[in-house]
Amino acid sequence: MSFRRKLLAVFALTVFLSVGAVSWLVLALTRNAFEKTEDQRTAALVTHFQREFSRRGEDVARQVEAIAASDAVNRMATALHGTSSDTTADSAEYFELAKSMAETHQLDFLEFLDGHGTIISSAQWPAKFGYADTAFESLSPLRGQSAFLKREELQDSTALGLFAVQAIGESEHAVYVSGGRRLDKNFLSRLDLPADMRVLLYQNRSDHFSPESLLDPFATGNGDDAARPADKFAPLIEAVRQHNQETTGIVAWSSDPADEEVFHAIPLRGAGKSNDDPLLAILLVGNSRRSYVELKRRIRASALLVGGGGIILAILLSSWAAGRVTRPVEQLARAAQNVASGHWDTRVEIHGSDEVAQLAESFNRMTGELLAQRERLVQTERVAAWRELARRLAHELRNPLFPLQLTVENLMRARTHSPEQFDEVFRESATTLLAEISNLKSVIGCFSEFSKMPHPQLQRLQVNEILRGVVKLFQAQLQAPGREPIGCKLELDENLGTIAADPDLLHRALSNLVLNAMDAMPKGGTLTLRTRRDDGKVMIEVADTGSGLTSEECERIFTPYYTSKQYGTGLGLAIVQSVVSDHGGRISVRSEPGRGTTLVIELSENLEALQKLPAAQNPGDNAGQFSG
Amino acid sequence: MKLFDWRWFVVSSAMVATLAASAETRPQYGGVLHVAMRAAPASLDPSDSTQPDSFARRSLTMLMFDTLVTTDQSGRVQPSLATAWQASPGSQRWQFRIRRGVKFHDETTLTAEIAAASLRAANPPWNVVADADSVVIDSSDPNLLAELALPRNAIVKRTSDSTPSGTGPFHIVEWQPGKKLALAGEENCWRGRPFLDAVEIEMGKSYRDQMTALELGKADLVEVAPEQAHRLSQEGGRLLSSTPVELLALLFPRDAASPDEKLLREALALSVERGSIRSVLLQGAGQPTASILPNWMSGYEFVFPTGAELQRAHQKREQVPSKPTWTLGYDGNDPLARLLAERITLNGKDAGLSLQPTTAASTELRLIKIPLASSDPWVALVDVAALIGLRPAKNQGGVEDLYACEVALLATQRLIPLFRLPVSYASSSSLKNWALRPDGSWALADAWLGDARP
Repeated sequence: MSFRRKLLAVFALTVFLSVGAVSWLVLALTRNAFEKTEDQRTAALVTHFQREFSRRGEDVARQVEAIAASDAVNRMATALHGTSSDTTADSAEYFELAKSMAETHQLDFLEFLDGHGTIISSAQWPAKFGYADTAFESLSPLRGQSAFLKREELQDSTALGLFAVQAIGESEHAVYVSGGRRLDKNFLSRLDLPADMRVLLYQNRSDHFSPESLLDPFATGNGDDAARPADKFAPLIEAVRQHNQETTGIVAWSSDPADEEVFHAIPLRGAGKSNDDPLLAILLVGNSRRSYVELKRRIRASALLVGGGGIILAILLSSWAAGRVTRPVEQLARAAQNVASGHWDTRVEIHGSDEVAQLAESFNRMTGELLAQRERLVQTERVAAWRELARRLAHELRNPLFPLQLTVENLMRARTHSPEQFDEVFRESATTLLAEISNLKSVIGCFSEFSKMPHPQLQRLQVNEILRGVVKLFQAQLQAPGREPIGCKLELDENLGTIAADPDLLHRALSNLVLNAMDAMPKGGTLTLRTRRDDGKVMIEVADTGSGLTSEECERIFTPYYTSKQYGTGLGLAIVQSVVSDHGGRISVRSEPGRGTTLVIELSENLEALQKLPAAQNPGDNAGQFSG
Repeated sequence: MKLFDWRWFVVSSAMVATLAASAETRPQYGGVLHVAMRAAPASLDPSDSTQPDSFARRSLTMLMFDTLVTTDQSGRVQPSLATAWQASPGSQRWQFRIRRGVKFHDETTLTAEIAAASLRAANPPWNVVADADSVVIDSSDPNLLAELALPRNAIVKRTSDSTPSGTGPFHIVEWQPGKKLALAGEENCWRGRPFLDAVEIEMGKSYRDQMTALELGKADLVEVAPEQAHRLSQEGGRLLSSTPVELLALLFPRDAASPDEKLLREALALSVERGSIRSVLLQGAGQPTASILPNWMSGYEFVFPTGAELQRAHQKREQVPSKPTWTLGYDGNDPLARLLAERITLNGKDAGLSLQPTTAASTELRLIKIPLASSDPWVALVDVAALIGLRPAKNQGGVEDLYACEVALLATQRLIPLFRLPVSYASSSSLKNWALRPDGSWALADAWLGDARP
């Protein structure tokens, strides 16, 4: 990862964490504030509902009081006063009074009871006249008091209602008026409640939660209700039953939190309203959390938007800042790479006076110093090379010059002292002179050849064929009479494939190596030519079983004009190295004294170089020219 | 000078008062009588057995049709379309002489063939033939005359469009089955033209709607629920009630499947508090009963106890280990029926029985009203027996046989008689001279519309 990217990542991470932390903090604080507000709202709604509930109860009590004060009821009470023998027969004419009075006063329940609790007239169960009201003992003490909750037994069910009781007269001659309104869907739906609030009633009829006992005034009765199953209330209902107190819980209708509702469960008890009285019903005052959740979502979205925008802005700014910081460093890095690749004259621009600028200045100073040193070194090496060349030339030229000098002096001496032998001496000297001149020409030819190394003309060729050609060329010399025989062994990888190379130069290089190997085995031995693939590259090995080289010789073996042989020019391996280098390869030596030397050429396929050549210069695949 | 002669003033005043009173009581022709009823018959054919019997249907039938014979207020048989009749020795063959000159509403003359065909259609088992100007019926039924007086045996001439034509005082002008019937007075009625020009009958009206229509002057004759009759009478309404000719009873549509079920049925019969129901729900109307036939018809009704015996009911109930729940069906359009069903359910619960009131059609037992078909006890008893799917013993003529037959019917535990109810009608003050027949139907042939004063 580049320095710029690292810097950018650090900047971005820092900003991201900062913005994230701030957003979370804002969210948490906002959520707490809204939850507190929501709790207060719910509490206000519950209080509102309780007031509304109480108001309804007061209305029921007023209606019952009005009925008890009505002329019709008082006439009935007067008429029935003292008629205790057959109440049913006496009260027959009042049979429908409860029903008509209930309709007039909009009550769902209304019963007139005599002083013994016998039903004179009943609006909710007219056929029950003459029967005793089983709840009379608990009702009679409640006359004149505020409304209370009561479970009323009906023909084929039971119903909850808000009841009030009044009495006309005293003791056993009294007539009791017990009236109420049914606590049902209609009652609940008529409650004046704020928006987002709803009230459900669970009628506590059995020991276990029963969905059928839940009254939902907003239930439509169609498929929409399936989305809000009554079973969801079971935990809340059970909690109220278990702890016998008001409980608040959240009911989730779907995976969407906006569908959640907070329900405040209020236990409703009988007349006494103490915890010992039976739990008749549980009121569920629900408040939708939609507005709260949507507000929370908006805040979260805003926070995310701000955070995201901040992060993007931070990334842009970080990118700009990182670029600004790293640009000089990158320039320095590129300059260093240029220097590494040999462009020692590379310089970087200096901006400002900070540490990076000082570094750039030092870099420029360093490259300047390197350039100066290189100049000095080149000069030194050039001088050394010239000295070596002069020494080698002196050495190479001195060797034939000395016999030339001796031969010429011998000729002069023979002319002077033995004219009769001059002709003979002249012939011999001439032969010697020609031989030495030839030797000189050979030395000069070598130098000339080294100086005229041509640029490789790349062709597609098969290395194995080149090697076979070389072996064929030297086959006769390997087995030449007068010298110890040298065996030749070819270990060629037949799946070597083709490479792009100059066949002539490669042939010459390999020939030089074979000649060197033959020179290294004056007492005979084995010459091994080997090819193989290694890591996608073609490896050519020429190994002898001669005396081997010392490590010092191995280091200098490719230095021009260095030779370990008595009559070598020291240019053979230098030429080989030059050829291999021109092909983009490298050559190395592996030797062990007494066991022989192996020279290894490593060449790449370099086939792509062929495609870069102009069509006219691309010789094509002519590997076959070596196949013979 | 004598300016004023008191004698002439008194005489003339007396004459004016007499003339005014005479005008009020003298029948007047014309006017349209508006009647409302709860029943909503889909057919006017008297012999259509798919239509339930009702007092309203009987009343309609007798407006448009006539029977061969009829019964007077004392139950005696009187001539109608048959002017005379005689039975062969042993009462196996009856010959009825058809009244001459009687025409149907479509101007067809009444013949013995038409009368015989009508009777055959109404009573397929009967062997009825026409013999010259007589109808001959082969029957061993000693109650044949009472049977022939029933509205369902009215003489009908069925036309090609299946509209029945009769010989009664009114003919059909408009007929919307179950909704409305408009009748017009028949000018050529053999009994003479009726005073009323027309009668328009609205059907399917509740008691409440009928009473409202009467109070608003939109109806002249309406039915009154039994429990409302007492109140209406106290409030001074023009009320006419029949003798108790309708039996209110619990009917088990099927026989008791086991002795246990019989015990449970007996327990239910013993648990019903007829007294309090009559006092409160029926507001004193009707009579508690445990028999099928009324005392005025049979003379032995008092031997059937009507009081609730809760202890005995409990004992019988406890003899049965199982506790089935019976569905008790009632007419959902009748508020009184609902109250009765609920009260009977409460009474049954006191005896340990479980009843479930419902308006469903198919139930284990039903609360039904049975209009007694005739003032003849055998005809009435046979009709009730037929209604519950039983065939009583043959009429031997004696009251002992009648009693035995009724006891046998009740012993099947298919029917629990509860109350005997009268049929009550309220009329506007303008409707004069209308009457109730012994079978509870109204007779309008001689009724007329006068001033709206009592």
